[in-house]
Amino acid sequence: MTQNASGGGSSPESTAGGGAGSALQGGDALLQVRGLRMHYPVRGGVLGGRIGSIRAVDGVSFSLRKGETLGLVGESGCGKSTLARALTRLETPTAGRVLFEGKDIASASGAELFRLRREIQMIFQDPYSSLNPRMTVGEIIREPLAVHRLGTKEEQLGKVRDLLETVGLGADMVGRYPHEFSGGQRQRIGVARALALDPKLVIADEPVSALDVSVQSQVLNLMVRLQRERGLTYVFITHDLSVVEHVSDTVAIMYLGRIVEQGPVDQIFRSPAHPYTRALLEAIPVPDPRQRKDEAPVKGETPSPVSPPPGCPFHPRCHHAIAECRSTVPELEVMETSGADPAHAHTAACIRRHEI
Amino acid sequence: MVWLRIDPITRKRFERFRRIKRGYYSFLILLAAMVLSVFAPYLAESRALIVWHQGLPYFPTFEYYTMDTFAQDPPPAWGMGDLETEYLRLQREWRLEGFLYDRELGEMGSSPDALSALDAKYPNHGSFVVMPAIPWDPYQSDFWSNEILNEVDLLLEAGDSEGAEHLARRDGLEELADVIYSGEVRALIADPGRSPTGDLKGLARTGAMPSIAGLGVVPPNAPGWNRRHYLGTDSQGRDVASRLLYGFRISIFFALFLTIFSQVVGTVIGSVQGYVGGRFDIVSQRVLEVLLSIPFLYVVIIMAALFQPSFWLLLGIMALFQWIGITFFMRTEMYREKTREYCLAARSYGASHLRIIFRHLLPNALTPLVTFTPFAVVAAIFSLTALDYLGYGLPAPTPSWGELIDQALQIENRDKLWLTFAPFGALTITLVLVVFIGESVREAFDPKQYAKYE
Repeated sequence: MTQNASGGGSSPESTAGGGAGSALQGGDALLQVRGLRMHYPVRGGVLGGRIGSIRAVDGVSFSLRKGETLGLVGESGCGKSTLARALTRLETPTAGRVLFEGKDIASASGAELFRLRREIQMIFQDPYSSLNPRMTVGEIIREPLAVHRLGTKEEQLGKVRDLLETVGLGADMVGRYPHEFSGGQRQRIGVARALALDPKLVIADEPVSALDVSVQSQVLNLMVRLQRERGLTYVFITHDLSVVEHVSDTVAIMYLGRIVEQGPVDQIFRSPAHPYTRALLEAIPVPDPRQRKDEAPVKGETPSPVSPPPGCPFHPRCHHAIAECRSTVPELEVMETSGADPAHAHTAACIRRHEI
Repeated sequence: MVWLRIDPITRKRFERFRRIKRGYYSFLILLAAMVLSVFAPYLAESRALIVWHQGLPYFPTFEYYTMDTFAQDPPPAWGMGDLETEYLRLQREWRLEGFLYDRELGEMGSSPDALSALDAKYPNHGSFVVMPAIPWDPYQSDFWSNEILNEVDLLLEAGDSEGAEHLARRDGLEELADVIYSGEVRALIADPGRSPTGDLKGLARTGAMPSIAGLGVVPPNAPGWNRRHYLGTDSQGRDVASRLLYGFRISIFFALFLTIFSQVVGTVIGSVQGYVGGRFDIVSQRVLEVLLSIPFLYVVIIMAALFQPSFWLLLGIMALFQWIGITFFMRTEMYREKTREYCLAARSYGASHLRIIFRHLLPNALTPLVTFTPFAVVAAIFSLTALDYLGYGLPAPTPSWGELIDQALQIENRDKLWLTFAPFGALTITLVLVVFIGESVREAFDPKQYAKYE
């Protein structure tokens, strides 16, 4: 994991990422996101003119190496899902670059975008609305193959059967309809659909949050196993920190459209630097009433992304806020370059990161 | 293709619809009526279905046969026999020949000489005509009731009592024919207490012979089995049952064309609006609202003044307005469906817009349209009937329910109740059937039903 917001352009990954695809062999960055912004206009007035904008994603940068998992954490409304949609180009970003193997998804169009779509697939949150209720499971999984005209119909059907076996459903389920399955089984179908095109990158937008806790671990283990077997790279979006701890290599914490802290999963969990990260970690329920809570809970509500507070977006809710927090927008700064690997640097966007 | 095969939701809905008996049977009845109306030329037509003449079958539905073909006499004013055969008259003439053949056979005994003489005299006694259930086409006027007694009277005055008897018997006036045959008719007519005018018309008016009491009346004539006007005739002597059937045929197909057209156009435009959204949606929506505010009836009146209204012209005018309502449904449905995750998934693997609209969105968005359809059909039938009633509908001789209602409501026809009951009864039955169907469809498609365990 590198950070590009402040002087990260000099790191080896970002130069390689900007260059030819051949330079990206062997664990280099598969996905590089630079200064991604997703602003929605707020219209009003008599003529419906633009009177403001919702800054759903406001300058997000990160990079991700092949075979790794980035856990993207944040509370509701912080822009996680918008980021996912920008990464899969379901929405066109307002600004910034999304480099996949050096090709910019954010500005691609036509045939180039169509080719890129094969490489990046998405797993959706709600297994009840993510499968078309009027198509059979076989049709649902086969459709990406049909859209991309990969192989004959028989080959496609064979692949569908293999995929169903892979995700732990029988190959004889092809003719069934989604409503005949449970939530966990439906999510497995969603996973199979995402894998149909053999993508390199899978964006999972809260893939287990709609499932029962007992089923969550099954789907998570399936995803981890598939990653190992197929060398997949995941962007794993969730609000559940225990899930992140289980699946991720690196973690990025989002607050109000920005990444406030990112780094290797063990460092983030062991020594969180940003007050918001600390608050999130404190909020994990611990089944021990004697354990002391040393951080006061976060006060107030998330501010509106239409008019984010000046300076650090977290300062109205932060216990450690000082006057400077109101005026200075903190950038991601390296906490400690643990080891020789700058890609896994622990960074935080807080001017008091070393004090608190 | 996914929408050709029945998916389980549709199947479940259809099953539920079938279980709602009231709606299902209404649907079957209406469907049967529609199918029957397609075959109206075999149900209500003045041409015979089959003519069996001297050992050969003829099918006048498909071919034109002149009166000469069956040696039928032309009407008195016409000298030649190259008119088309009058099949109902032919049927009665041949029945009469059969009757006379049998009667004379009974009088003469069945010696071979007598048989061959009778065969020569009545060559058509073995021929027969099969008429459709309603032996009248919707344009044919029947003034028989007004004229038959005069014709018999003329023959009687001319001293041709045999011809008079045959004519009366041919047209099913058995009692009259019998008294003519027995010679009692002269005494009856001569009695001023029974016939003040001294002819058959007088006899009919006093009611001394009940079987002819209803004759000598100008149309509209009451329902009667003798002339096979099951629902009577209208003021031009045309058969009401036949006109009802053809009127239903025209209006149901009008309604079907209109509904199909407006639903296809409304679906396409509404879908595009909802799918594209944004500025296109806002602008096109305003255009539609302007279009919607044009008063429909005035457009029809203006068009009817400029052009002769025809089936297709009326269909076009109505279609111009009908589809707009559909777009509202489709637009909102598409807005809702396109944000569902299965649609996002399709976009994320690069499915084309057409594929997303037709394979993913439309099958899921058409539900309100289906529940709306029965009511759209009945609304179309009623608007055509209303236009016909107002006189802006299909031109004059075209059979239509609205025109029948118009006749029924004329002041001189107020006591001719069959004219009122027939079209209003047909309208009521159609309305009730369609409402039953619509209610059941709505109930079968009710998403709340899925929330329950069955």
